[in-house]
Amino acid sequence: MAWFRADLHLHSCLSPCGDLECSPSAIAATARERGLTMVALTDHNSALNCPAFSEACAHHGLSALFGMEATSREEVHLLCLFETVEQALEMGERLYEKLADVHNIPEKLGDQVYVDVEENILGEVEKHLIGAVDLSVDEIMALVLDRGGLFIPAHIDRTVNSMGSQLGFLPAGAYSAVEVTRSPCPIATYDYPRVCNSDAHFLPDIAARWFAFEADTPDFAGLQAALATGRLKLSIEQPTA
Amino acid sequence: MKISQLETTLGFKTVQGTYDDREMSCGYTSDLLSDVMANAREDCVLITIQAHKNAVAVATMAGIAAILVCNSRPIPDDMIEAARSEGIAVFITEKSQFIAGGEIYQALSRT
Repeated sequence: MAWFRADLHLHSCLSPCGDLECSPSAIAATARERGLTMVALTDHNSALNCPAFSEACAHHGLSALFGMEATSREEVHLLCLFETVEQALEMGERLYEKLADVHNIPEKLGDQVYVDVEENILGEVEKHLIGAVDLSVDEIMALVLDRGGLFIPAHIDRTVNSMGSQLGFLPAGAYSAVEVTRSPCPIATYDYPRVCNSDAHFLPDIAARWFAFEADTPDFAGLQAALATGRLKLSIEQPTA
Repeated sequence: MKISQLETTLGFKTVQGTYDDREMSCGYTSDLLSDVMANAREDCVLITIQAHKNAVAVATMAGIAAILVCNSRPIPDDMIEAARSEGIAVFITEKSQFIAGGEIYQALSRT
């Protein structure tokens, strides 16, 4: 068993609020420099940069998870993480169908480009990805868990787009974990495993928060086992871990 | 103005009718339940699009008398069940929070 550092909430140039410098390749290179072992790409409501992220992480010897930060009908942000790119892309299609049909205005709201591993632009997403998907928290949770993914309510203690802000408190659910940004967390987390991640939209913020998990191997199964048994350390709680 | 008048006077549709039909104090319009918890007054009607079972839990904590779901937002069964067990009235309307709130304000001003 060994401890592995993870940052499972990262935005790329596909998120309109993400920096154009945040290509999947640049994210992987930065994550490697910062000593992370496992990373996940979680753009708003889309997984279209995950194929390039997968290649880039393989190149840098990083363990990668794939998914998105979904926005529910209640406007709660939810991390949906999968073992394979294909699972993430399929989930992304389901979400995009239900995403509010508001077109992005790149010059006002930011670019939404997906790229290859060499940073060539492959395309641009038409609908504004920051909108809400017409699915409830519970419906998104069911979609993720049915596909064998990890379902983690994001930054539950933030004052916007969180379980705390939108729903008043954390309702009971089959969460794989909950993501917190502060210690102590002002929202009750009950017995759910807690993780913290950077939610980086700019390269310098990658690994600003991270967590470590203890496992035999730094892969999806290892993370799942560590979450189930609570073998976790959070940077915001134990800076020296 | 009594809770039941949300239907009989204003025409909002009852979706959870097991409640003690008491006087309403006022209305509170918000879709952030953290804000509702902090600021809603007792015995008010909550005017919202937040159709989630947590709205019922927050209403219970804040002593809210009724919830009016606007824009015909779909109301999940678990929200209706929670409201029934807590005795909180739930209504639905196709109107927006602005229009519904205006109508409730006028009706409360008359009584």
